[in-house]
Amino acid sequence: MTYVVTEACIKCKYMDCVEVCPVDCFYEGENMLVIDPEVCIDCGVCEPECPAQAIKPDTEPGLERWLELNATFARRWPNITVKKEPPADAKAWDGVSDKFERFFSDKPGNGE
Amino acid sequence: MDMNRDQSSKLSRRERLVEAIVDHTQIGEAMIRTLVHAFYAKVRRDTELGPIFEKAIGADWDAHLAKMCDFWSSVMLMSGRYKGNPMLAHMRQKTIAPKHFERWLEVFRETAVEVCPPEAAVAFELRAENIAKSLQLGMFYRPGATAAAHKAAPS
Repeated sequence: MTYVVTEACIKCKYMDCVEVCPVDCFYEGENMLVIDPEVCIDCGVCEPECPAQAIKPDTEPGLERWLELNATFARRWPNITVKKEPPADAKAWDGVSDKFERFFSDKPGNGE
Repeated sequence: MDMNRDQSSKLSRRERLVEAIVDHTQIGEAMIRTLVHAFYAKVRRDTELGPIFEKAIGADWDAHLAKMCDFWSSVMLMSGRYKGNPMLAHMRQKTIAPKHFERWLEVFRETAVEVCPPEAAVAFELRAENIAKSLQLGMFYRPGATAAAHKAAPS
């Protein structure tokens, strides 16, 4: 059991979650974050904190592909523990559908 | 300008979340301290858990209690005071078995009911159960869990 970051994070990347995560388990891609399922302790603090409602417990149905994506990219992207400035157009992408197909980037972010 | 407005609206979002928790449960730093100290006093006297903790904590109980207050403050009040890797810390203790998590939860529930109002006790228990389950899954039931511990260990 872990929490996972889902599509709603893409291009929003508010990063409020990294401030409250007690175990520093967020990893930064170019336009979204993921959670390392091997470090997440299921405390649930990040879920209500996300303005885009992108974070879900993996016990919810239909999240298998997101769990896999989180596990995969947590190993490739840098750890992020300090919130940075969100993209200037974050709000404009909040709630937009099909962001994964259109915009997902496997490039790493800068981390820190 | 926009940035400032964004930040203040997000801050107040978090504050509103915490306020709702506090209103419902009365949980505050003082209650967390009382619970943590009462709980670990019981743990140290417990025949099953006592020896494991004495071995892991040694002479550093004051530091451990302070760290656990920070942990529960981060979990219940979103304070961000704790930063650590409890998964790795537990994996390093080779004598921990699944039954110890059961006992840990039993003592935690007992203490929460004794020292907290009912709503707070329930809120603490729910978090503790999820976290205990997650640590157990990571330690005992996940393929590659040991590899993860090695990867994360300082070289």
